[in-house]
This record gives sequence, structure tokens and C-alpha cells, in this order.
Amino acid sequence: MMLRGSRAIWQRDMQVLRRSIFSELVAVIAYPLTIYLAFGIGMQSYIGLVDGAPYSLFIAPGLITMTAVNAAYNESVWSLWFHRRVQFTIESYRVTPVSVSEIVIAKIMSGFTHGIIKGCAVGLVIFAITPFRFPLEHLLHYLLFLIPGSALFSCAGIISGTVMDKPETIGKVEAVLVMPLIFMSGLFFPLSSYPPSIITWVRALPTTALFEGARRALVAGDLLLLPVLQVLVSALLTFIAAVVIFRYKMAE
Amino acid sequence: MELSDMMTAAIIARSLTKTYGDLTALDSFDLEVEQGSIFGLLGPNGAGKTTLIRILTTLMRQSRGEAFIEGLDTRSAGRDIRCMIGVVSQENSLDRYLTARENLELHARLHGMDKRLYKRRIDDLLELMGLSGRQKDFPDTFSGGMQRRLVVARALVHQPRILFLDEPTTGLDPQSRRAVWDYVRSLAGSMTIFLTTHYLEEAEQLCDKIAIMDHGRLIAIGSTQELKDRLTGASVYKIEFAPQEVDRYAELLGSMSCVLNIKQMENIVTVTLECWECLAEIVTALNGAPVRRISLQERTLEDVFISLTGEKVRE
Repeated sequence: MMLRGSRAIWQRDMQVLRRSIFSELVAVIAYPLTIYLAFGIGMQSYIGLVDGAPYSLFIAPGLITMTAVNAAYNESVWSLWFHRRVQFTIESYRVTPVSVSEIVIAKIMSGFTHGIIKGCAVGLVIFAITPFRFPLEHLLHYLLFLIPGSALFSCAGIISGTVMDKPETIGKVEAVLVMPLIFMSGLFFPLSSYPPSIITWVRALPTTALFEGARRALVAGDLLLLPVLQVLVSALLTFIAAVVIFRYKMAE
Repeated sequence: MELSDMMTAAIIARSLTKTYGDLTALDSFDLEVEQGSIFGLLGPNGAGKTTLIRILTTLMRQSRGEAFIEGLDTRSAGRDIRCMIGVVSQENSLDRYLTARENLELHARLHGMDKRLYKRRIDDLLELMGLSGRQKDFPDTFSGGMQRRLVVARALVHQPRILFLDEPTTGLDPQSRRAVWDYVRSLAGSMTIFLTTHYLEEAEQLCDKIAIMDHGRLIAIGSTQELKDRLTGASVYKIEFAPQEVDRYAELLGSMSCVLNIKQMENIVTVTLECWECLAEIVTALNGAPVRRISLQERTLEDVFISLTGEKVRE
């Protein structure tokens, strides 16, 4: 497959991002930073140590990951919906020699790039204003989770943006499915808090593999292969589903 | 299909059918559009125009039948076809987050054009469309006419051989509409233009050949004059009387068997006759009447359109 079209569309998305990077980053950083300050600093003295680490340290990797995957999801879902239903630009791409698969790959790449940029920005801010520190080599392990994790959420966003025609439905899915999945994955509490009967189910979720694996990679430098594979396979399957669903929808 | 047809026809549709469940949007549609011509497609709302254009531009697959663009099958050569067509869709599909120039550049990149080549081409098109001075502005700040011109310019960036214009002037003021017509006329001969429109005047002004479709079927095709000539039989005459006598003569005309329909507006009576030969009978009946003028009412394309598709408003 030629990816010339994907590159052109991705370049367009980056051109638009460059124009509004400052306001985008301010908006994106504000939310996790508020959570960090409220829970990590404000509640720290009440909570004490979690899994042997101060609470502010415990939640920091999760907040960075959450920012990245949320940004990837939001960019993909809203961008695709807007270009498909409001601006009709997807239609204008489709009358050029670009294939439907190239369009969906471009949008996945754009969501993924948004996720990585915004996740890194939040990471830098947390690094700059808090005592949260980690050895540099941990970052490589962490990226092994963050990259496929952002891709996974970008693909999920593409699926939502493809099948949902009403913006309010997109908001509901985010509230009912995406955020609970993120919050259930041990972002604010250790997985050991779950009753033993459901912990197996929670661990089976790719989001748990992502958040738990990413935290241990960044804080302790652990590279847990099974969670990495779980996230990678989920990202791959979601990618295939996104391409198939988008192609099907466009053929209607 | 004959090889000679393929050589001279830019667009060919053979028994093209598209069904959505029980609904038949396109029903065994046959069409042939000559290379280099301006072809107009008319039809009421829901007639199947957009479905046809979506199949021809490879955005949609037909259920049955075949369609060829410059000899290429729409089912198997989509990418090659899209290389040689330009499409101006009904919706204003400009990217509001890119400037006018960036919109054209993106389109050129999607067509894989070389930067040096498209830079110059875009300069020329912006100049031609009168948008050079606004090339760094965002389309949201443009008037409807300017946005439409930009959409047309975008469809021309890669120098297509066939240009599809789906209701290109809908919502434009008369000046902007005429400006778009001028651009379309200026393109005549250099490429094949396939136009759908609700404005019959637009089709009449621009098109070499017009097709009228309804309920997914082709119901008439020909030049404007050929279509008007189809409305043989009934002839419509306007008769202007001196004001004080008009009611009496309107009553007389209304009682004549050869008069199919009669309308009176002030001192003008419009009569629809069975055939033009009835005129002699009318003239005889009006002998001595204070007639100021008798004129034949020219048939318009709208008359043809209404007579073929009916007066009922479509949803």
C-alpha cells in the first residue's frame, strides 16, 4: 500500500496542531495537573505510601499515560467525526487517488502523535514542578507501553468517530466506557485493592496492562513482557477493526 | 461495448442500478457523455442524481450494471479514475483550518503532485478565480461565492480530464452564480464537464446536452432545443385585449372546444390550444375584437422539466 495520502493528511493535521499548540497544551496540561495537585499533593499526607511509594509518585505515571491516551482518543474521535460529518473533508479526500485505508491510517497516526506530544508535555511539567524523578533508562521501558497504548486509544477513537453520527453519543461513550476503563486500571489505587474474585477480570483489560505496566516501567524500571504484549496485540486488533469498520462505513 | 464508444465517450453508464434495501435509487440507467462536452443532469429531489454522481466518481458501488470513465471501469479502476476526475460536491467541503492556498496544496499532495509543479499551478488558479489576494485567509472569512470558486479551483489543481459539478451554484447570489458560469464556460472544450443542477437556466446557459431523470430512470436526453421540441401538440398563446372587452372575449374563448386551458390576468388572456392549427379558429372567433397583440409563448426548459417530472413537490 502506498502511504503518500496518509502522509499528506497527517502533515495537514500537524500543520493545524502547530498553529494551536500553545492553547492545546494549556488545555491538556490543566486537567492532569489539577488532579496531581489535588490528589498527589493534597491527599498525600492522608494516604501515605502506596505499594511502597509516596502517593504523588504512585499516580504520576498514570496521569502522564492518561493524558497521552485521552489525547489520542479525543483527537481521533473528534477529528474523524468533524471531518466526516461537519466539514465533509473525508469526502474530498475520497475523490482523490487516496485509498480509504490511507485516510484511516493518517487519522490514527494523527491521534497517536497528539497523544505522544501531549503526554510528553504533561510529563515534563510534572517533572519540572514536582519531586517526581526516574532514571532515564526507565523511560525506554515506559515508551514500550505508551506508544502502543496511544495507538490503541487512537484506533478506538477512529472506531467511535466512524460509527457515531451524533456528538452527544461520542461524549456518552467517553463518560461511560473510556474514562471508567482508565480509572478502573489502577490509576489512583493499587490493583490489590480489588476483591480477589474480580482482579483476574480487571487484569485482562488492556487498559490495566497499559496503566499498571507503564507505572512499573517508569517507577521501578520493570519491563513486564506479558502486559507489553497484551497492549501490543490489543492495539493491533483495534487497528484492524478500525480499518475494517471505516472501510465498511465508507462503502455504505 | 464497442471500442469506438469507449474512444469518444468520456462517461458511459450501462443498465446502472443501485438499490438500498427495497428502494431503487438508480434503475437501469443508460448514459453516454461525449468527451469535451458540457453535460447537464436535471431531476427533482430524490431523482437519483447524487447516487449516479457518487457511482461515477467511485465513491459508491453500483448494485448492477456498469460504468466507465474514459474507458476505465468504476468497479476495478477507482484509483486511476480518481486521478483524472475533479469533483465539486454539493457540500462545501473546504478545510476551514487551512488557508485558501493550503487547501489547494493539500489537494495537490493528495494527488501526488510535485511541489514545484503545483506551486505554479496554484498561483495560476488563484489568479484565475480572483482569489490571489485572499490566498492566506481562511475560507470561513470568504463569501459564499468565493468559497465556491475555491472549491472549483481545488477540483482543477491536478488538471482533471473530467470535472463533476454537483449543484455548483446552489445558495449563491446571481452575481456569484454568473461568475461560476463564466469559469465553467471558460473550461469548455478543455475537459468534459458533468453538471447537476436545480437551476434550469444554468443548464440552458451552459450545457451542450441535457438529461432529465426521475425515480432513478433517464426520461429524456438531448440539447435544450431538442427537449423543447418534444413538447409538441399543445401551444400557448397570449392575447392582449382592450381592458373594457376582456371579460366577454375570455368567456367566449373559454367556451371553445379547441381551448384546453385559459388564464386571465388583467387584460391578458393566456390560452392553451390543442394544436397550433387551432389558432385559425381562434382568430376567426375574435374577428372584430379589440385585440392589441397575439404572441406565442416560448416553451422553456422548465416547461419541459415540469411536463416530464410533474408538478408535485418532492420531499
